[in-house]
Amino acid sequence: MRRVLHYVVAALLVLGMAVLVAACGDDDDGDSSSKNKDNVNLTQGRDLTIAVITHGEGDTFWAVAKKGAEQGGKDMGVEVKYSESANDPQKHAQLIDSAVTEKVDGIATSVPNADALRDPLKKAVDAGIPIVTLNSGQNDSAALGAITHVGQDESVAGEAAGKRLAESAGGGKLVCVVHEQGNTGLEERCAGAKKGFGGEVENVQVKGVNDIATSTTELQSKLQSDKDVSAVLTLNPDIAVAARDAVQGGSSDAKLATFDLSGDVVKAVKAGEIEFAVDQQQYLQGYLPVVFLTLYDENNNTVGGGQPVLTGPGFVDKSNAAQVEKLAEEGTR
Amino acid sequence: MNGKAEAAGSAGRAPMDNAPLLEVEGVSKYFGNVIALKDVSTSVQAGEVTCVLGDNGAGKSTFIKILSGVHKEDEGQIRMNGERVSFSSPRAAKEVGIATVFQDLATVPLMSIWRNFFLGSEPTVGAGPLRRIDVPAAKRTMREELKKMGIDVRDPDQPVGTLSGGERQAVAIARAIHFGAKVLILDEPTSALGVKQSGIVLRYIVQARERGVGVIFISHNPHHAHPVGDRFVILNRGKLQGSWKRGEITRDELVQMMAGGAELDQLTHELQRELSKTE
Amino acid sequence: MSDQATALKPPTPPPTSVVDERLADVSLLTKLLRRPELGALMAAAVIGIFFAVTTDDFGTLDGAANWTDVASTLGIPAVAVALLMIGGEFDLSAGVMTGTSGLFMGVMATEVGMNMWLAIVLTLIAAGAVGFINGYMVVRTKLPSFIVTLATFFVLQGVNLGVTKAITGSVRVAGLSDVSGYDSAFKIFGGSFSTYDYRVSVLWWAAITILATWILARTRVGNWIFGVGGDAVAARNVGVPVPRVKIGLFMGTAMAAALVGIMIALRLSSVQASQGVGDEFNYIIAAVVGGCLLTGGFGSAIGASVGALIIGMAFIGIQFSGWNTDWRFLFLGVILLLAVLVNNFVRRSAEGARK
Repeated sequence: MRRVLHYVVAALLVLGMAVLVAACGDDDDGDSSSKNKDNVNLTQGRDLTIAVITHGEGDTFWAVAKKGAEQGGKDMGVEVKYSESANDPQKHAQLIDSAVTEKVDGIATSVPNADALRDPLKKAVDAGIPIVTLNSGQNDSAALGAITHVGQDESVAGEAAGKRLAESAGGGKLVCVVHEQGNTGLEERCAGAKKGFGGEVENVQVKGVNDIATSTTELQSKLQSDKDVSAVLTLNPDIAVAARDAVQGGSSDAKLATFDLSGDVVKAVKAGEIEFAVDQQQYLQGYLPVVFLTLYDENNNTVGGGQPVLTGPGFVDKSNAAQVEKLAEEGTR
Repeated sequence: MNGKAEAAGSAGRAPMDNAPLLEVEGVSKYFGNVIALKDVSTSVQAGEVTCVLGDNGAGKSTFIKILSGVHKEDEGQIRMNGERVSFSSPRAAKEVGIATVFQDLATVPLMSIWRNFFLGSEPTVGAGPLRRIDVPAAKRTMREELKKMGIDVRDPDQPVGTLSGGERQAVAIARAIHFGAKVLILDEPTSALGVKQSGIVLRYIVQARERGVGVIFISHNPHHAHPVGDRFVILNRGKLQGSWKRGEITRDELVQMMAGGAELDQLTHELQRELSKTE
Repeated sequence: MSDQATALKPPTPPPTSVVDERLADVSLLTKLLRRPELGALMAAAVIGIFFAVTTDDFGTLDGAANWTDVASTLGIPAVAVALLMIGGEFDLSAGVMTGTSGLFMGVMATEVGMNMWLAIVLTLIAAGAVGFINGYMVVRTKLPSFIVTLATFFVLQGVNLGVTKAITGSVRVAGLSDVSGYDSAFKIFGGSFSTYDYRVSVLWWAAITILATWILARTRVGNWIFGVGGDAVAARNVGVPVPRVKIGLFMGTAMAAALVGIMIALRLSSVQASQGVGDEFNYIIAAVVGGCLLTGGFGSAIGASVGALIIGMAFIGIQFSGWNTDWRFLFLGVILLLAVLVNNFVRRSAEGARK
């Protein structure tokens, strides 16, 4: 009996090690298929480490940003350490603390909750580590000590989206689908959309990207029970697909638009199921901060002149969907 | 109750008092329409063993539960030393001096012997927030008490689950006596044990009797009951079928009464007839 | 055998006691090996040494500040959950309770305008009440605590979101740092100390672990907890107040969760409505890794703390190692599985050694 247990433990250890080795090796994804433009594999590796910390939870949106960050690392010849907090502000703070302990050369972080990250970012600044904020927290960026912000102005984008939806839906009621709790950026989008739409706007909470099935059901119930809804605006590509299913499943006439792209979203845009997608080009939100931090470390350069570097809004609709489609499928748009 | 060091009664057999230690008179218990017990009476003296026998379903477990305070009697009286008592909970019965050792619920297997021994009555030292269990005293006392039953515990921290069934019964019995049980009710202590272990437990029962405790020994096995009993009582379908003193009934008579002797004779006759037919 | 035979002759008096030196039979080593925590400690040592050797920062004082940080807010409720598990019950609402208490305190402080300290006291009392309700329902309905506390979990999750939104209009309660009493409260519950920035929660964690261990090993209530978890009916029959013990344990988990909720809220100066959901399983895992039986009646508070330590070390260790975070949960799972196996293996050997 003890013999058997020995073997089981040994087997698991071996399995564990094998997995580790495999996974470590996977860091460089062999991504070069999409990058036939600039294969100057940097001859000089710079001895820098950049920590990129976001509040993602392994969803399609953040996977694109991660690809951007990793490519940025390859192009600049620096080590990029990407981690996600799964929307837990305490974890996010702890990840920043770890990066400070590791004495990284730059921290690129999203700021869904400025209060929570204020202290750890101050510690980073005090330790002489430059910070670039990305994706969310545009209004808090300077106060937190960041050298610049890379992202999309959510209110502006929201307003533009709301206006376009008002045109295609011809009035009525807009449902703004919130999939993440506690994210000021998302709240700003809906607030902007409300301004731009002009009519009645209702924010509806759904389960989230971790439970698409439930989210779809929740939306479908809403559409079936509320016949005034003429337009639906989602804030995430996975949720957009869920909304598309909900609209079809509920046989609703509502016009659908979304923030952010994915391969499925672009296909749906081509097919006319989604009117348009607001693209904040999160690939750049991963890529550019790595570049900016490297330039700052090496040459004390700052970008933006005190203003945020805007990566959106770009609109993907039937007119340009085909071009974007291929890139979205490869996970870089 | 906190741990007391003295044993409950005198070291030898108490002189035969006429006043019984525990008396049950005309006790009945109903569960809805079901008559679990009807007009049952018996008694037990200090230093004596009263055996309550009966087949399964005879009402033995209801009887025990009433005496140990789990249920309340619907009719009749229970008297301790001549005074009427009524129990609202097992704790109340315990306080009067009636300790019950259930067959499968005697001890907690994962806990050590000494913790089991003192569960619910841990000896303490210190006061207020610093009040803690007096562990060395507890271990020492436990070893002494079990030695009186003839068990030498080398390791008090040993989990009770590693003891044999008979040894576990001994722990439960020693515990009950140590905490001042005047009446000890044993619910089918030998029913799950093999022959040798049963013999050992019967010895413990005698030990308890020697120490002046009044023992009520519940069983469905007359072979075990007969050697140790001073008084015998048979329950059948909730009613008292008969009551005898030692010497008034033989073991075989006991067996026959319990199995419903006449029915067994009839059955034997029929079986013999069947067998002779096929020959 | 003649039935005129007298009753069994009383046996000869038991032999004079065997010499006490026989107690030495149970060697100190065996006593150590038998402890539920030992396996977990060994697993923690293995994991700690592994990461200390393979990364630059894990084995430093600075790095230790990071993994003790993660371990402490896991460890405080894990210890309480371990006590409850030893007592034979589960509390699935402990995770979301950290959110509820943080939000409660936040709302009291920012919307009702209470002084932070008063809000803290009220939060702990409110948590005690929730724990009491949990315990009372379990004891009354005799339903499995798994089910009862799962219901509480859903109720609290809904309340967290609904009430927060209704009161603040958003999914977060913020602005705690502007409330009077914040600074002193922050120092005691949410701040850090020393040049390496060790969190105050680590001290609380240590204190609570010591308290819980003392309760289990040295007090009557501790004995009752083992008894209730091992065999509640037997315990009741010897006079242990089983309902009171269980209700007390549920109040313990709720208040421990509240303490952590308070700490997090003060540290981040804000509370998110989704705080804590999912953590309840981490508490249970920490307790099981630390040697608690899921069926109750066996375990240790130190073990649960070691379990929390393992989870903290794994999280930060993986971070420092720079492994692809897509695989992070797989690593965590493998590490935990190994920890449980090592623990089990060591315990079996210890039990074998006794025979």
